[in-house]
Amino acid sequence: MLEGKLVRLRPLEMTDLDREYRWINDREVTRYLSARYPISRGEEAAWLREGTKNSFSEGPVLAIETKDGEHIGNVTLHNPDPDNRKAVLGIAIGEKQHWSGGYGTDAIITLLRFGFHQMALNRVSLHVFEFNERAIACYSKCGFVEEARLRDHYYGEGRYWDVLVMGILRHEFDRLYGGPAAAS
Amino acid sequence: MIEGRLVRLRAQEQSDAGALQRWMNDPEVAYFTSARYPMSLHAEEDWLAARAKNSYADGVRLAIETKDGRHIGRLALVETRMEDRKAELQITIGEKDCWSQGYGTDAVLTALRFAFACMNLHRVWLTTLEYNHRAVACYRKCGFVEEGRLRQEVFKDGRFWDFIIMGVLRDEFDALYGVVVETEASHA
Repeated sequence: MLEGKLVRLRPLEMTDLDREYRWINDREVTRYLSARYPISRGEEAAWLREGTKNSFSEGPVLAIETKDGEHIGNVTLHNPDPDNRKAVLGIAIGEKQHWSGGYGTDAIITLLRFGFHQMALNRVSLHVFEFNERAIACYSKCGFVEEARLRDHYYGEGRYWDVLVMGILRHEFDRLYGGPAAAS
Repeated sequence: MIEGRLVRLRAQEQSDAGALQRWMNDPEVAYFTSARYPMSLHAEEDWLAARAKNSYADGVRLAIETKDGRHIGRLALVETRMEDRKAELQITIGEKDCWSQGYGTDAVLTALRFAFACMNLHRVWLTTLEYNHRAVACYRKCGFVEEGRLRQEVFKDGRFWDFIIMGVLRDEFDALYGVVVETEASHA
């Protein structure tokens, strides 16, 4: 368990299947993700079984729970790269009534702390569609800096959209949220 | 064969493995690429065999030849996405005496014409190391626009370096170089 202020991050379990299946087929959720095609329960179960092992090389894939134990979304560091000490952040709050409740921000800060202070990463980046203004504001609040605007990089809802690349470095995170404790 | 002015682009063959291995193991060449670990001839042959087929889904990997048939480098359009109609361009001129002779520019222009006129792509993008000024100048000439800078994206030679990311859209390339080739039919 990774404890944040508002959320805790825990491994995904097969018992999460009903929620995962509902979220990944909810277009209001997936229009902000790269998920495009309907996903069967079988595919989603296979992903839960095979795709959610937590390690450096697989990258952490974690369930976001409120402090009273409600599973509201997932957060991940994918494409971990040991030579370049970087990974890519992905997050979805599947329970829409919890959007804008501060849970995403807290989940990201909690996972960044894990990425920088346990996995020894130097950089975490992410891709976000230009129309996802709530997410962009959240990432900026967490300390991510806009580094690139990839023009017409994504097609969806009938047109091309720009994709923003945002990044945060280890020293920037430590300045905002505190570095490791001194040896006693 | 895809004909340019100075070069032609052809499918890669198993017999290209020796040249590719020599280039990738040349520190002066690798300095400008993401290659890191020494590459055996066997590994290079396996890599070629696994990517023998060029297609939209699998990506396109081509040998760059001068017009008199000398194999001087490689070019690829990879990371294709069918819905987004985009691809990533990668190029290496492995024969160092061919650097700064215009071969790279001609190869990129030829590949972009193929990407837009034959593959029906909408966007081509690439990344390059921040110190590869010769490459950035070449890409600008070809129509690429700098879209951003990924900070400390690559660790190499003892420190982190930025990646410059550039992109060109079909309309932009069309305005600069023309995408639709005039044929006899278009005059009829």
